[in-house]
Amino acid sequence: MSQALISQVLIGLSVAAILAIAAMGLAIIFGIAGVINMAHGQFIMVGAYTAAVVGQLGGNTFVAIPVAFVVVALLGLIVERGIIQWIYDRPLETLLATWGVGIILEVLMKVIFGPELYYVGAPKILDGGIRLIGRLPYPYYRMFLIAVALVMLFVTLYIIFRTDFGLKVRSVRRNRAMSGCLGIDTARIDMLIFMYGSGLAGIAGAVLAPIKSVSTTMGFSYAVGSYMVIVLGGVGNLLGVPTGSFLIGEGETLLAYKYNAVIGQLLVFVAIVIAIRVFPRGIFGYHERR
Amino acid sequence: MIASAIGNRLALRSQAMSWYRGRTMSLLEVNQLTTKVSGYTILNNLNFSIEKNELRVLLGPNGAGKTTLMAMITGQFKPTSGKIVFDGRDITGLAPDDIFLAGISRKFQVPNMYETLSVYNNVMVSLAGDRKVFKYLFKRITPAENDRIWEILEFVDLAERANDPADTLSHGERQWLEIAMLVASRPKLLLLDEPTTGMTEEGKRRTADLILRIAKNHTVLLVEHDMHVVRQIARDKVTVMHQGQVLAEGSLAEVVDNQEVREVYLGKGGFH
Amino acid sequence: MENKAAQRTRVVERAPLLPLWALILGALLIAIIGSFPYLSGTNSYVLLLIGKFLCFAIFALSIDLIWGFAGILSLGQAVYFGIGAYFVALSLKINYAMTHPTRYGSKFPDFMEWNGLTALPTFMEPLINVPFAVVAALAVPTFLAFIFGVITFKRHIYGVYCAVITLAESLILQEFIIEYQAYTGGFNGITDYGNFVGAPFLWIILAVTIAFFLIARFITHSRIGTVLKSVRDNDVRAEFMGYNVANYRIFVFCVSAFMAAAAGAMYAAWVGIVSFLDTGPLFSVEGVIWTAVGGRATLIGPFVGAFLVRGLEFLLSGSWFANYWQVFMGILFIAVVLWIPDGLIGTLGNWIRKYRRGTLTQIREEQDRIAHDRQRDWEPPGAAKPGDELV
Repeated sequence: MSQALISQVLIGLSVAAILAIAAMGLAIIFGIAGVINMAHGQFIMVGAYTAAVVGQLGGNTFVAIPVAFVVVALLGLIVERGIIQWIYDRPLETLLATWGVGIILEVLMKVIFGPELYYVGAPKILDGGIRLIGRLPYPYYRMFLIAVALVMLFVTLYIIFRTDFGLKVRSVRRNRAMSGCLGIDTARIDMLIFMYGSGLAGIAGAVLAPIKSVSTTMGFSYAVGSYMVIVLGGVGNLLGVPTGSFLIGEGETLLAYKYNAVIGQLLVFVAIVIAIRVFPRGIFGYHERR
Repeated sequence: MIASAIGNRLALRSQAMSWYRGRTMSLLEVNQLTTKVSGYTILNNLNFSIEKNELRVLLGPNGAGKTTLMAMITGQFKPTSGKIVFDGRDITGLAPDDIFLAGISRKFQVPNMYETLSVYNNVMVSLAGDRKVFKYLFKRITPAENDRIWEILEFVDLAERANDPADTLSHGERQWLEIAMLVASRPKLLLLDEPTTGMTEEGKRRTADLILRIAKNHTVLLVEHDMHVVRQIARDKVTVMHQGQVLAEGSLAEVVDNQEVREVYLGKGGFH
Repeated sequence: MENKAAQRTRVVERAPLLPLWALILGALLIAIIGSFPYLSGTNSYVLLLIGKFLCFAIFALSIDLIWGFAGILSLGQAVYFGIGAYFVALSLKINYAMTHPTRYGSKFPDFMEWNGLTALPTFMEPLINVPFAVVAALAVPTFLAFIFGVITFKRHIYGVYCAVITLAESLILQEFIIEYQAYTGGFNGITDYGNFVGAPFLWIILAVTIAFFLIARFITHSRIGTVLKSVRDNDVRAEFMGYNVANYRIFVFCVSAFMAAAAGAMYAAWVGIVSFLDTGPLFSVEGVIWTAVGGRATLIGPFVGAFLVRGLEFLLSGSWFANYWQVFMGILFIAVVLWIPDGLIGTLGNWIRKYRRGTLTQIREEQDRIAHDRQRDWEPPGAAKPGDELV
């Protein structure tokens, strides 16, 4: 019993890592530019297709990560310059516009790649797994995912808290008007942050491709998972993402083990809704003074 | 004039009676109010009270805690410790809408109204009355309410703009509209936070005049920086705040002569 | 004399409850739609579409009520539509099965049999009573909306957060329906229980549509509507004006859920097929785009939007363009947000207003000029005038 429980907790940890990887880009964009990117799932999907193309050309996941980052960041640049820069002040309408972007991306990818599923293999080194407890193997790739989540978190923290760019980002986040007056090009910061967040979504797609068949509709459930992570964790602090992912990932896995996957999701959703009664802006929410 | 004279006399009488009974009967009493925000003490054991029908002017340098005091009274923030008693009722920590229903209306520093609604509707929404959803559902405007809206709009000189959306108003007109909205709600206490900021000289004079006319039958607490306006308005007591505490209280002349006030608030200059 | 002059300015411009031209136009439209079955028979596909579109229009109206007039964007409105639809569809299916035994002779819905049930589950027995099912189809979604509102609005959760939570809500309901296919029909939905396509039910739909339009009209144009709009414009001010903002939001959210549920219930009876897609996020967002295209914060907008977008989809369904319909929808989303944020009807209204009294900027400029003139009159003689050189 306890062994099964521990292995479930470990599985939950990798589910949490997947959620964290998917949510990181969204949290960055929402936290700083104030935009919920409804096309986030499709950005992840584009990243996964990039990985599939890299795989076809003979590369593996390690090659796919930087490629997907660049490809999706450029995609983010186009979306930001073309659409979102005009409607930053209307958050609910950015929701609709980015939803439209998502639909277009889905059809576009279907036209380019066709309706069939693509499979991307994990790199050779990460094949197999170790037996931690009992007979259930714990795949190396799951550990790799946890590592990727941690690296993404620390790189992002480093950029935000240790670089000049991050300083500007934080000042824009705190007081946009004042930062503008002090000579920070807030539009450029928004653009770069949107690109960076999109790039992270691309990385998410690239590392998630081997654990899920690549299709045009693969992104949506990841996107909704990311929204929940953000709602629960809050965007005031980047620690909200790992915290939210951990709670949701473990909660869903353990409840799915006890009941079934849908009941698990439902209970976690109810728990989130109850939790935001206590933390209206998420656990690490930034409470604004009016 | 007569009404205000009677009002003043009544106020004096109630003051005298409360003195006789040995306890205060102030409209608003703030006792030992302390507010700390992330380590900084903004209000420090503040004691403060307003009598009925008074027009109190609150002065103080930037950061003295005037706006914070207003936020505390109206329930925007909760104080760290202390008590706020309004009209014999403890209102500390109540929600803003409950405090409004108790009788306190607040004007924000920045004009704050419903932009897409017409000026008329802005005042209509603010009329006194029950605010419960289902009691509101079938309520229609009575002729008496309609007359009152127009009276108020004429009072603040916005009757001609009644049907325009509020976001077509100029900055000064917005301030007057917000004051009109407060008056419409028949408050027992009006809190006005710098109603003349950003106005022209003429606008300030007219606003001061408006406040004096309102104060004839309302209790008003006014935060103001502009000394011209203060001189025009300060007919009763003036309170000077500094570093979250009351520094001096009295008539304008007394306060101006107070040496401490001169030091902390006016520096070496003086009133001009 | 002076008093009279004052009286003359005391005129409130209020839109009449229903202007004459709208009454005539509306009556005409109702007559055309209502007489359609008599003209073309009840087998016409167009007739089916008309009833469907009316249900969609009510659905869009319910979104308009909360989004356009109270500023709450829900991306999960289909939850209420879907629950209403499933209650009615289940009830009709159970009744249908009692008179039409399955291949193996059982008298309960076939999809339950396929999934290994041997009898109607006891908790579904009340649904045999159709009126009860209809009441439940309306009451349960309204109650759920109430619970949701109490949980979120009471804690000042709205805007983007509310949109995201409602989206997840709708996704989870969808997965729930797929998972518990023994009770809900799963992927295939609930089908084959007959439908009510025909003149009598069309008149019912029309009557409900008119009733809901009038209710929405009453809510948005009475005092409570003014309060709702003030909450939408500036909830902080409304709160400091004594309004319990959360209660107003909950009220309008419940009314909206009730409308969506009624639309779903009628949809299930009219079309004769209900599937998990009718409760999903895609359908929710589609409703939002109908409202946006037609014009939010207008009551005709949702009708125009639903009929226009869905009608266009129908007209183009045969052509090569149908493959790219989704792209068109995506472009529509972006175009509406970027170029016609007020929607078609809203933009039309703006033009009419502009024609009547000038644009907002014109009004502003005029008022600035008046204020400036007054200001100049006030200046004491001898003061420097604009243009005078400073010596």
